[in-house]
Amino acid sequence: MFPPFFFFLLYNTHGFHIRFHVEELQLATRLQATSLKERKRFGGIFRDHVVDTRQYLEHVRESTTGTLGRPVKLFTNHFRVTSRPQQVTYKYNIDYLPDIEDGKVRSELLLQHKAFIGECHIFDGSSLLLPHKLLLPKTELVSLLKNQVVKLTIEFISELSPNSPDCLRYYNILFRRILKQMNLKQVGRNYYNKQEATEFFDHKLVIWPGYVTSILEYETSITLCADVNHKLLRMQTAYDLITGLRDPQTKKEDVEQVSKELIGSIVFTLYNNKTYRVDAINWEDNPRTKFKKSGGAEITFVDYYREQYNTEVTDLTQPLLISKGKWKKSQQDTPHKPIMLVPELCYLTGLSDKMRKDYRVMRDLALHMRLDPEKRQHELRKLMNTIQTEVQRELQLWDLKFDTNFMSFSGRILKEVRIFQGRRAFDSHPQFADWSRETRSGPLLNVKSLDHWLILYPTRNYGAASSLVQSLRKVTPTMGIAMREAKIGKVDLLDVTSTSPITVVLCVLSSEKKDLYDGIKQYLCVNCPTPSQCVVARTLDKPQTLMTIATKIAQQMNCKMGGALWKVETGLQNAMFIGIDCFHDIVNRRKSIAGFVSSINQELTWFSQCIFQESGQELVNGLKTCLEAALKLWCKHNQFLPQAIIVYRDGVGDGQLQALMDHEVPQIDWCVGGLYLPVKLTFIVVKKRINTRFFVESQGRLQNPLPGTVIDVEVTKRQWYDFFIVSQSVKDGTVTPTHYNVIHDTVCFTPDRIQYLTYRLCHMYYNLPGVIRVPAPCHYAHKLAYLVGQSIHQEPHHSLASRLFYL
Amino acid sequence: MGENKECSSMVDNCEEVPTKEVIEFRPPLYKQRYFFVKNLVQQHKPKKVADLGFGDATLIWMLKYHHCIEHLVGVDTYAGSTSQWEISNLSPSVGDYLVPRDLDLTITLYRGSAVQKDSRLVGFDLMTCIELIEHLDSEDLAKFPEVVFGYYSPRIIIISTPNSEFNPLFPASTFRHLDHKFEWNRIQFQTWASDVANLYDYSVEFTGVGSPPAGAEHVGYCTQIGVFQKNEAKATESCISTPEEHVYETVFTTAYPSLQEKKNLLLVLSAEVLRASNSMRLRFIVDPKKKKVNGRLVPEDSCVPRYGLIVTDAQRAQIESSPKPYCVGKKFYVPLERLITFPKVNRLVDSVERLRSLLSEALKLNRDQSALQVDLHDHYSRTMLSY
Repeated sequence: MFPPFFFFLLYNTHGFHIRFHVEELQLATRLQATSLKERKRFGGIFRDHVVDTRQYLEHVRESTTGTLGRPVKLFTNHFRVTSRPQQVTYKYNIDYLPDIEDGKVRSELLLQHKAFIGECHIFDGSSLLLPHKLLLPKTELVSLLKNQVVKLTIEFISELSPNSPDCLRYYNILFRRILKQMNLKQVGRNYYNKQEATEFFDHKLVIWPGYVTSILEYETSITLCADVNHKLLRMQTAYDLITGLRDPQTKKEDVEQVSKELIGSIVFTLYNNKTYRVDAINWEDNPRTKFKKSGGAEITFVDYYREQYNTEVTDLTQPLLISKGKWKKSQQDTPHKPIMLVPELCYLTGLSDKMRKDYRVMRDLALHMRLDPEKRQHELRKLMNTIQTEVQRELQLWDLKFDTNFMSFSGRILKEVRIFQGRRAFDSHPQFADWSRETRSGPLLNVKSLDHWLILYPTRNYGAASSLVQSLRKVTPTMGIAMREAKIGKVDLLDVTSTSPITVVLCVLSSEKKDLYDGIKQYLCVNCPTPSQCVVARTLDKPQTLMTIATKIAQQMNCKMGGALWKVETGLQNAMFIGIDCFHDIVNRRKSIAGFVSSINQELTWFSQCIFQESGQELVNGLKTCLEAALKLWCKHNQFLPQAIIVYRDGVGDGQLQALMDHEVPQIDWCVGGLYLPVKLTFIVVKKRINTRFFVESQGRLQNPLPGTVIDVEVTKRQWYDFFIVSQSVKDGTVTPTHYNVIHDTVCFTPDRIQYLTYRLCHMYYNLPGVIRVPAPCHYAHKLAYLVGQSIHQEPHHSLASRLFYL
Repeated sequence: MGENKECSSMVDNCEEVPTKEVIEFRPPLYKQRYFFVKNLVQQHKPKKVADLGFGDATLIWMLKYHHCIEHLVGVDTYAGSTSQWEISNLSPSVGDYLVPRDLDLTITLYRGSAVQKDSRLVGFDLMTCIELIEHLDSEDLAKFPEVVFGYYSPRIIIISTPNSEFNPLFPASTFRHLDHKFEWNRIQFQTWASDVANLYDYSVEFTGVGSPPAGAEHVGYCTQIGVFQKNEAKATESCISTPEEHVYETVFTTAYPSLQEKKNLLLVLSAEVLRASNSMRLRFIVDPKKKKVNGRLVPEDSCVPRYGLIVTDAQRAQIESSPKPYCVGKKFYVPLERLITFPKVNRLVDSVERLRSLLSEALKLNRDQSALQVDLHDHYSRTMLSY
């Protein structure tokens, strides 16, 4: 230790004196044999952004911009890049011998040669971007890692033009480095400001504010998109959770309940700052169990943590958690050595269901985390100012400059959409995007009467059940629902239903016990297919809200029986709308469920199917089957095929765009194109999780844009036929726009038509008399996939498929 | 740095050595040296520790887990870059914010040499020079005692260096590291060490790590270690005022969150208090024999949790003798007098008054501020417990 640091530059062409130990060189050669892990450091968003989907869409070659609606001046959380390198930059590949896995270590080893590569450089873990050319196309350097010599080979790959997308990727890395310099703490992919942490003592929670940023190219310019986000830290260990679920009398843990709450959750171990996913709980072992260290010696967990981290495990009887290690899609078949963890040292992450159901927690969090447009702008201004003043040097090295003001341009507000309910017609409220009052005050569009229906309740909830029935009797006549006396049963007499044709079952539950709910849904969706409606007795407690709740229940039951509440004119004849969304089961991690909901007639009656999908398996096969069934049913109802199919595809992850283009779209297109009358197809990718936000200025303050605001300029992409719609209205916080990307379109929609159509479909979700974030078929598909994934776990009975039983 | 060949052979077990058998140390020798230091830290509980020649900072990282240390300093001629340490495991992580240390800790890394004087290194409790001196040339080695023993003059100094008598057991017959300027046998090291100790009024004990294989016991430990302790009274050190002399360049410095900061104390305290009250609350709910006394619902049960929070019977007895929690309406109250009897709460605050003044800033107390107030039922007790 402590000698002057020595390193050698080995220019292979010059043959400098090589001084390192022969033995170590041999070691290095042997270690090289270990497989090179594929380095996927960068998010799929970069991969998506280079996919040109517009090149095939002849009809929008000229423009993807619409004209309908009232123009409005908008602001967005994008900052224009005003200056960036205009010269060619040079990209070099860095090879390590022996190979080093850890990105931090790789960077560390390279930085030992800062003098050689220069201060101005960007390193992404495997390649290096320099503003100047190195002397030689290939240079070999030697770095030291502890006692080991690592040989670095820096090899020239290519010159990057200032406009290449690869360049942008490097600017993003540079920007992350800058955030780090601003004393922000990196957790996962984002950066957080621990100095501005907020503590919620009574909820055992801490929130760190932070930022998400990305530098990407859009329609006319390169911008920095910045948004505020938050990191939630919980002061609660897995041990707290386990003991909290110990029966206070028997002192035995509720094994099943503990498993339910812990398995699938991500825990954070303090001592090494790592996260693990809990895959199982080992009740047989405890912290006194011995395990084998990497050296081969056996040691108990208690001793290990004491020795290694000076941490005491206090409860020696607690079970152990088992994690199968980091799960990677590519490695799903290779066995992992499970890792055992001591619950006391594992902190829980994320919001638990328990917290989600605690309105006080949610209220406090919402108050803090939901920033309104003004506050959001304030926070982002602060970020931009800090960047301009404190960490400018690094940016100057690359001649990178950003505008400090929100980008501004013109958007359009679409006209309110007319809602038809029987003979009545009304517009949705221009500001709140809602028609709850209107829909309550007259008959529904398509009424199903409550003839043979069953009400189930536990004896102690008799009161709640009977007041609900009374209220239903009051509210149903206005809606046009004929209601007969219900048959009465008890939850434990569920079997009764199979003997007579029951149209709907209404269950009053005494608590929110998930098992009971799941059991009821399972039975009534699979074994004995009957629409069912559950309500927790507690929600019926308050007399002042009882009527509203009864109305809602009546409407929901009507939909579940196959009725309809209202409709909008789509402006399209003979078009089938399809919504697709996925649910990923985190507990049984391998299976995903896709909901597939399609319209079967002009009245927009929905036909719902679901696809069980093994992970890694393409959705394609299941889609074809669903599509065929949907077309068959359409033909049965309409005597002819639809002229067009419009698919709204939600649940697409970052980086999957190319795969959609290559597999899903051609398959569907092939499937519908092979029919005796070719059907036209439009395929739209729907994205809700985006960081772009829009604002309008009114009375000197930034506010949310009105529902129906469409954006198809500036922050859309040149290579895409895409647009944003703000369809919903939010009470507090900032509204999140939805991004739509038309990747295939043989219907040849004009921007105006597809935007209007999409907006109209956002009015068709029956569970809310208002406009939602996505087209209704997408949200139905989501609800279906969620119910199946969370509660039923198997395919619902086909006889329910043309009713919205999952609403 | 300065890691020896005996360790590289550790990394690679399938090493083909034609002549001699490779000597393997378990745990690896460098770890044995670090554990030696850790044990000494455990024993002497130093507050200020400096590692001269910290290399890749593994020892500093291992020492940061010791609660007694408040200042941890590393010095190395090659000290890496600021950004390198910022993302290393020397920086506080999320976990350090969730479970703050009891005492403050700052870690500072300097670029500099052990033969240069820097006043910031004066007044330490422990200094370690692990595998350092053999890298010094004769000129630097001559200056070294004056700087470390004379000027820095810490309470304890640990110096480790290879024992050359062990070398014949290795396959290669050179020095263990190509940068080594010398490798001493036991007599050489002990002579040098004793002379230095005498000169600067230290007493020294010799030991080592890496036991020789059976049959070769006469060569002694692979690494020889001298532990030097200052003879004079500790008080004198603070009397000597050394002029400020900053020679070393600060490469990295970081402060760890600790309970010394009120915000952190509040967070940990409220979590601990809620943990205790939650366990009592569940006991209370299932207690079938609750009585109404003066408008309060009082449990028959002692409401003492039987697991986790308590370790000994004495602790249980103490909790049992404190006032019981009670319930009024839908609220559950736990007297502060009871909360403070919980060991993990008591560890954080020593009096009911302090508990009261802290909790009043973080949680809800009853009107006369004698008890913590929480909701009797939460989602779990409503759905899971039959009551």
